[in-house]
Amino acid sequence: MAVTGTLYTYPENWRAFKALIAAQYSGAKIKVLSSPPHFHFGQTNKTPEFLRKFPVGKVPAFEGDDGFCVFESNAIAYYVSNDELRGSTKETAAEIVQWVNFADSDIVPPASTWVFPTLGIMHYNKQATEFAKEEVRRVLGVLDSHLRTQTFLVGERVSLADITVVCALLWLYKQVLEPSFRQPFVNVNRWFVTCLNQPQFKAVLGEVQLCEKMAQFDAKKFAETQPRKEPPRKEKPPKEEKKKEEKKAAPEEELDECEQALAAEPKVKDPFAHLPKSPFVLDEFKRKYSNEDTLTVALPHFWEHFDPEGWSLWFAEYRFPEELSQTFMSCNLITGMFQRLDKLRKNAFASVILFGTNNDSSISGVWLFRGQDLAFPLSPDWQVDYESYAWRKLDPASAECRTLVKEYFLWEGEFKHVGKPFNQGKIFK
Amino acid sequence: MAAAARPGPGVDELALLEKLLGLPKGNKYGVQGERKVPVLQTNNGPGLTGFMTIAAHLVKQAKKDQLLGSTAEEKAVVQQWLEYRVTRVDGGSSKEDTRIILKDLNIYLEDKVYLAGNIFTLADILMYYGLHHVMVDLTVQEKEKYLNVSRWFNHIQHYPGVRQHLSNVIFIKNRLYTNAH
Ligand SMILES: N[C@@H](CCC(=O)N[C@@H](CS)C(=O)NCC(=O)O)C(=O)O
Repeated sequence: MAVTGTLYTYPENWRAFKALIAAQYSGAKIKVLSSPPHFHFGQTNKTPEFLRKFPVGKVPAFEGDDGFCVFESNAIAYYVSNDELRGSTKETAAEIVQWVNFADSDIVPPASTWVFPTLGIMHYNKQATEFAKEEVRRVLGVLDSHLRTQTFLVGERVSLADITVVCALLWLYKQVLEPSFRQPFVNVNRWFVTCLNQPQFKAVLGEVQLCEKMAQFDAKKFAETQPRKEPPRKEKPPKEEKKKEEKKAAPEEELDECEQALAAEPKVKDPFAHLPKSPFVLDEFKRKYSNEDTLTVALPHFWEHFDPEGWSLWFAEYRFPEELSQTFMSCNLITGMFQRLDKLRKNAFASVILFGTNNDSSISGVWLFRGQDLAFPLSPDWQVDYESYAWRKLDPASAECRTLVKEYFLWEGEFKHVGKPFNQGKIFK
Repeated sequence: MAAAARPGPGVDELALLEKLLGLPKGNKYGVQGERKVPVLQTNNGPGLTGFMTIAAHLVKQAKKDQLLGSTAEEKAVVQQWLEYRVTRVDGGSSKEDTRIILKDLNIYLEDKVYLAGNIFTLADILMYYGLHHVMVDLTVQEKEKYLNVSRWFNHIQHYPGVRQHLSNVIFIKNRLYTNAH
């Protein structure tokens, strides 16, 4: 009988994906608890109640409806699998364990070293990164020669081996394995893309966008997401505090992504807290925009009160217009994005417009953001759509910006740069 | 390798397909004309004529439409390979024809697991049936030369329900002859 139960994790955790994909194959019913109030990463998993069930206090962790508890992502994936995924002979089962362990021992460490700094969640060390790149090359080479004659890693069907290794490679393929780097590994690429496109993988991972340009370490992003490590320091901290800090700083190199996620947590709550106060009051503008005439009241109000220091304006264009087939799907794309960005509503406003008709559309919009940077990298929830758009910062003093703001906020005008008629607009507010 | 022209795909292969699709026996087939084109007698309406027409009908009867492709593009690619199967694989008879087919397929399958890309379809099934007699006769060196075809063929012959009574073609997984990639 298929397993049913609850998986505790933080959102978009690749380790949790393993169990979720396995469940797609086996029919196990898994409820995911990944956000407050049900599960608050860094807090819930430290409570006595949680620790009683899962003494290590880490996620993912699985609790069956029958009370059975198990932690360690590979063990969870194994538990929720079926016999085909686990390997039905002793030999295939052993080979599957072999690849699962290979993923943890040979892929995850160099992948983390290389990828995490590009996500702004770990320090960058040139030597370590270069070494990790070579390790990744070696690992891909091993997989490539294996997959020369094999369709899947073990036997002739998808198994836990494929699920585990794909998930371990996921961040690499998304962040850094740009076409020229991955091109020599034809067999790995074929296998990886085929796995991603199996309905069971797709159901969990969605559309995975493969890396187009190798992401580099982003020092600024790193500083922004490291609240614990760079406390606002006006004066020299008292000695004692300094010591404590040094102690904390020591194991920093070892931090894995989860602790990093933990570290970033308080920031995620209000990623704009560090910004100086701004005279521009977003809610006031929104009220005008919603209740009064846009052209004669809201727009003049906007330009009168707009604070170019505390806020920035952006032009965003959907990068894959050729994929936009049905109008209603394109609209869902926009409203879906708004939903995922829900927590940004206090700090952003946007008008996003669908132009054209079925099979010949484009999506673009004007965004207003608190601060001078895009907030998306601060939360995994916000990143979903971010990369599907090309973002261009507008100069609020420019005539172009004035025109764009006017036309997009008004849903009227020439829309010169678009070349397709206005179809419908959506407001993020 | 076979030198004489082979008869077009026929009733035997439709029986394999029926079984693979899990359809109950009971479809009645006839053949038509000199080339022995299969005809399916249906209860209502006129019979269906032609191998591919009947194959597609069986897939629908089994409610496995996804085997014909899901997206418009997939559907087109499936059709393309079904046509290739009938015209090129069944039509070709010389050693040279076979060589070209294997070469084409080998290039095509370098970056694909299935003929329609990522998903197993009727194209894989019928191409497998159509190429079985070719693959059986390949030498170890040839199998290695057409590595991508071999990998694909081996995968399809292991796909649950596909092979049935056909012989299992053996592929050696380690490189024996070539050193080149
Ligand atoms: N090997 C474990 C790693 C689990 C793990 O490191 N979990 C992290 C999140 S990615 C965690 O819960 N950390 C919380 C903590 O260490 O307090 C697995 O694969 O499940």
